[in-house]
Amino acid sequence: MSLRLFVCSACGRAVFPHLLLCPDCGSTDWRREPVDGGVLEAVTDRGVVRLGAVRTSSGPLVIVRVDGDAKAGATVQLDEDGDVPVASG
Amino acid sequence: MVERSNAVIVGAAESPYSRHPPEGTTTESLLADAFVRVLAGTGIRREDVDGLGVASFTLAPDRAIDLAWKLGVRPRWLMDDGNGGASCIQLLQHAMRALDAGDASTIVLLSGDHFGADDFRQLVENYNRTTAQYLAGIPHGGPNALFAMLTRQQMDAHGLDREDYGRLVVSQRRWAGLNPGAVYRAPLTLEEYLESPVVVEPLHRLDCVPVVSGADALVLRAGGDGIRIRALHALHNHDGQEGDGLRTGIASIAGDLWRDAGAGPDEMDVISVYDDYPAMAIAQLNDLGFVSDGDVGGFLRRRLDEEHLPVNTSGGQLSAGQAGTAGGMIGLVESVVQLLGQAGERQVENARLALCTGYGMVLYRYGACANAVVLERE
Repeated sequence: MSLRLFVCSACGRAVFPHLLLCPDCGSTDWRREPVDGGVLEAVTDRGVVRLGAVRTSSGPLVIVRVDGDAKAGATVQLDEDGDVPVASG
Repeated sequence: MVERSNAVIVGAAESPYSRHPPEGTTTESLLADAFVRVLAGTGIRREDVDGLGVASFTLAPDRAIDLAWKLGVRPRWLMDDGNGGASCIQLLQHAMRALDAGDASTIVLLSGDHFGADDFRQLVENYNRTTAQYLAGIPHGGPNALFAMLTRQQMDAHGLDREDYGRLVVSQRRWAGLNPGAVYRAPLTLEEYLESPVVVEPLHRLDCVPVVSGADALVLRAGGDGIRIRALHALHNHDGQEGDGLRTGIASIAGDLWRDAGAGPDEMDVISVYDDYPAMAIAQLNDLGFVSDGDVGGFLRRRLDEEHLPVNTSGGQLSAGQAGTAGGMIGLVESVVQLLGQAGERQVENARLALCTGYGMVLYRYGACANAVVLERE
């Protein structure tokens, strides 16, 4: 399943991870919306797993597990594995 | 302009840091040891202590009141602060105002941790709800991987290489060699730094703080002789975790701090910046204006390596060790010890002004808490 960001129902501001009040308008009402992907801004290899930071096309920067060997600067697809965001491609 | 406090810090002490503490060591035994030491060093009697503040990750489920009971203190002012690397300047900020207002006359601030076999893993995986829900399952393995990415981004932003970071680490080890309380004191060469085993690229073992058991303590009084607090500022959650992580909240308070202190970076005799990772110590030095021309690499080469600018003169957390939340007090203790002229072989001559920062609480991507203080020996 595509990664779902938290989008403010009142003003449309997207965040990840979940916050209590919208940083922009203060609303407490969120909906989940899938995001297509983003750009891998940073990546590091722990040995057991690769970690990355992805700037999503909707704005938020998300810490992800990187499946595959995408390099910094690459455009990646974003999915969810439980609560864990996963980048690939 | 924030009103200056009349409170003074009259003493500082440390329960010795240890990689492998004796059997039976507990967080509360370390905090008690720091408490006894700081009273002994100042000659203040336990019955005169009417304020107690504590910062510790591993004291739970106990709190400041449990400690007050077991130490035999009857405080009129009592405070817990769990905000990691910023907790002790945070405690100081509250304590000095309590003293000014008359809520207490003598306050002891304690900070320390002892990690058992599984405590550290538990701490990093459950650091906050966000970490437990969104990071631990990656598995991110704690903050190293996050700061590895930040370090790489800082390298790209400022054209730094591993040797540049090594200059900070080697310089702190040089100071640690003069501090009997530091856990790593053996001289370190840049070559040895570069060859240390990789942890998470680009971080190697000597870029990561050694976790130790230990505790620190400060005593404050409402007035009289002691170390004065010229200025203290804080800004937490300055960018909602939406910035680049390389500009800390300290950048936002630096202007007010120097204005209220009536002094600037060049006038600091002793500098203590929170050094959970070399990249973050460097980020704070930059945020505070120590790198006047924006040339971070040149600053590390010239000011730190060649001119021995007194940064983290205890050895910092990177060489003296990180005793959990005491990492937020190690710089304060060192500042006070230096200003009181009690620093032994590593004493900075005629130290009169000291800068100390707090930084920490990695909510998602990087530390969200930031504070800083300028201390003065009158």
